[in-house]
Amino acid sequence: MRKPWQPQQPRDWWLHNPAYRRYMLREATALPLMLYTLLLLAGIFQFSRGEVAFAAWLSWMQTPAALLLQGIALAAALLHAVTWVALVPKILVIDSDRLRIDPRQVLRAHQLGALAGNLGLVVATLWLLWPAGGA
Amino acid sequence: MRRSHEPISWSLFGAGGMLLAFIGPGLIVSTLLLAWLVQDPQALHATLSSGLQHPLARLAALAVIALPLYHTAHRLYHGLHDLHITGPTWLLGGFFYGGATALSALCALWLFSL
Repeated sequence: MRKPWQPQQPRDWWLHNPAYRRYMLREATALPLMLYTLLLLAGIFQFSRGEVAFAAWLSWMQTPAALLLQGIALAAALLHAVTWVALVPKILVIDSDRLRIDPRQVLRAHQLGALAGNLGLVVATLWLLWPAGGA
Repeated sequence: MRRSHEPISWSLFGAGGMLLAFIGPGLIVSTLLLAWLVQDPQALHATLSSGLQHPLARLAALAVIALPLYHTAHRLYHGLHDLHITGPTWLLGGFFYGGATALSALCALWLFSL
């Protein structure tokens, strides 16, 4: 009778190796980021319903549960950004006869881009909130 | 051979991952600041409304919701496999990728009916 080899992997395979634990933590960033995106989606829905609903969503975002989720999501987003940018030069390999770019330059460009994107967004928000801005 | 959905789901995963790396932390800080510091929610609603008049702004807002949804759905879908949580592919795939698609469609509906 045929007896195929069954690879055995314990369910807790990732718990005993620091590299696997870091991998699982990186993958786990998706959960708070998904929940945060759902909060934003709720915000768009409330925004579409009008000023009163939007104001209610803004004050709901200040409740302890929402702040806790946003805090966890911020930590997850930072870990995601750092690990994602570090992986880019390994996936985006530009090495052909016509065009060759040093992986270190690919990494540097994405680090600068991520820094500029995130800081720019925060600065734009502060500018929007400035008393002279109206809101 | 049956055509794989991987090129599509991985492209959406990659786009969402790149978007989250470039603006994710800043976006979360921004919504925290908005909710915390806003003086006049009505004026903020008006400002954002006029900004969203342009179709490109609506498209950008849709991307900020839809791409992270696909990105996180893809990671959680494969994370279940890592955790040895198994189930019929049509059910798990339908839940994650179908859910991301349905919520993206709702978001588009809300944004483009403003």
